[in-house]
Amino acid sequence: MTTPAADETMDVPADGEAMIVAEDVEKWFGHFQALKGISTTVRRGEVVVIVGPSGSGKSTFIRTLNRLERHDRGRIVVDGIELIDDIKNIEQIRSEIGMVFQSFNLFPHLTVVDNITLAPRNARRWPKPKAEAKAAQLLERVGIPEQARKYPAQLSGGQQQRVAIARALAMEPKIMLFDEPTSALDPEMIKEVLDVMKELAGSGMTMVVITHEIGFANEVGDRVLFFDGGLLVEEAPPDVFFTEPTSERGKLFLSQIL
Amino acid sequence: MSGRLPGDLERTPLPVVDEPVVQVAPTRPPLTSGEWVRRNLFSSGFNGVLTVASGALVLFFGFQLVRFVFVSADWSVFQANLRVYMVGRFPEDQLWRVWAVVFFLATLVGLSHGVLVPRHLTRRGLVLRAVLAVLTVGALVYLVRSPLVWLLMAVTVALFAVGVVAGRRLGRRLLRSLLVAWLLAFPVVVLLLSVGDVSADQWGGLMLNVIVAVAVIALSFPLGILLALGRRSSLPAVSWFCVGFIELIRGVPLLTLLIFGRFVLILLMPPGLTFAQLVRAIFMFTLFSSAYVAEIVRGGLQGVPEGQYEAAKALGLSTTRTMALVAMPQALRSTIPPMIGHFISVFKDTSLLAALSFSELLFTARRSSQAFEFVGHQAEALLPAAFLFWVIAFSMSRWSQRVEVRLGVGER
Repeated sequence: MTTPAADETMDVPADGEAMIVAEDVEKWFGHFQALKGISTTVRRGEVVVIVGPSGSGKSTFIRTLNRLERHDRGRIVVDGIELIDDIKNIEQIRSEIGMVFQSFNLFPHLTVVDNITLAPRNARRWPKPKAEAKAAQLLERVGIPEQARKYPAQLSGGQQQRVAIARALAMEPKIMLFDEPTSALDPEMIKEVLDVMKELAGSGMTMVVITHEIGFANEVGDRVLFFDGGLLVEEAPPDVFFTEPTSERGKLFLSQIL
Repeated sequence: MSGRLPGDLERTPLPVVDEPVVQVAPTRPPLTSGEWVRRNLFSSGFNGVLTVASGALVLFFGFQLVRFVFVSADWSVFQANLRVYMVGRFPEDQLWRVWAVVFFLATLVGLSHGVLVPRHLTRRGLVLRAVLAVLTVGALVYLVRSPLVWLLMAVTVALFAVGVVAGRRLGRRLLRSLLVAWLLAFPVVVLLLSVGDVSADQWGGLMLNVIVAVAVIALSFPLGILLALGRRSSLPAVSWFCVGFIELIRGVPLLTLLIFGRFVLILLMPPGLTFAQLVRAIFMFTLFSSAYVAEIVRGGLQGVPEGQYEAAKALGLSTTRTMALVAMPQALRSTIPPMIGHFISVFKDTSLLAALSFSELLFTARRSSQAFEFVGHQAEALLPAAFLFWVIAFSMSRWSQRVEVRLGVGER
């Protein structure tokens, strides 16, 4: 499924070690096959953008990477650890992978700073001062240091999503997954979230991003994966995919979103 | 004829008539009380009749009640038995223990009130409290003759007031110590009232109702949470057991369970192992209450969105921590109103212990009315008991509403 010609043109560090390896990953929901054998490799520092129509399996795919969905066949190896049913193994992999959701999923009963420090203090056993210092530093990084003591409901959507990014980064993950991070936002708030994501990509974070923001994909994406009907239909650098997709389905999809 | 639409669809469109624009007067608040009465009580002839009829009924029964309470009733049965209503046959020379408990709890409640309840009071609330205070003092002047008891009551009020002021001054940093104090309070109170020259068999009156209610609430709350978690468990044996337990308990009247505890439980226990009647009653009552708590908590957990679990899992939190730190706090916060409702029921249901001849408040009231000198005064004996139940249940309800406001600020 990989387009061999495209591989050589990618500006991915060729020597970058593989952070995520998916081999022939399949997933069923009852009788419906959501993933029909997905194989791809994400290297350290790479920003991979996944696009595709709804129901194409793109969201299911990144949710298998941190075991929010269990894959039924194939192999997934994250940072050298294969995802198996062992719960300790799953928790270890999850703490290496940060995830940002379309609907933020902040904890409404906790303040911003408590949202961010919850996992480091409880899963990593950091002392409170260390966790809060880290939280303050991350809030600075996402541009809202003054909101630390507020509750999520008191923030705008864009601010909430930036807190969610800070919360994921607090575990010092090696990989960040973004599942349509700007789809639930009002248009004027999309930029502030994308800016944070661009800064993150620039810092060398390995990222897998589901988004329909073509501008973002073009600017920071190293590679685009086009999903349709549970298949990885096309894989190409963004400037190639968004200008001259090779597959018919890719052309159709682009004509619908552009 | 074939090919025709059914009659109702075939009908020609109704002619559109241009309606005259109706001038609607802008709604405004009524200016005078006369206008308010006309608009709300006499807006039509029928409403006027209703107002007059129901007003007459309210006046009639209100007058009857007032006349009964202040003129025709003879409250001497309550007056003479006041101590029995409160503590049953607790030995008189040991009453200092009860007062020590009252002082301790007054301070603790005062502190909690100061910390948790917003100090903001509306003018209406203030007036209401003043009226209640005057009525309470009036009733006490009539009922309590002993200067010593007056002194002790004054100390109680003073301790409560000091607690409120201190609680407000110290604020939320007191929260953790308060929690510890409350957790320790129950064992301390039980020890104080049962060790030495007294025993739990001598508890009675309102004191017994309160102790049983607190014990049942304190025990069934964690048990109910465990049952709710068990019901959701992925282990079939655990979840079936919890579902079976909850459905079994909820399908049986409480009185049946209490009678079971008194007469049947003993047959099921290993020979030689016996528990006091009161312990068995509290045990059965706790089982009953925990089934209801479990269902309330389950409802709360269902209200926590799936995304919350996913976010916690994605952060690497274990299932246990996800439940304890993310799901349960949200679930419990949303269940405060039904939970308090259930706890009020538990308090009121302690009156069922009368059927097992525990000398709790209702039992005491009935027995007081049977004494020879008070024959014919059942109403005067029972009404104070009902009133005491109501006062405590109503206070629980009001207090919880204010705490809820305080806890809910900005945390939705």
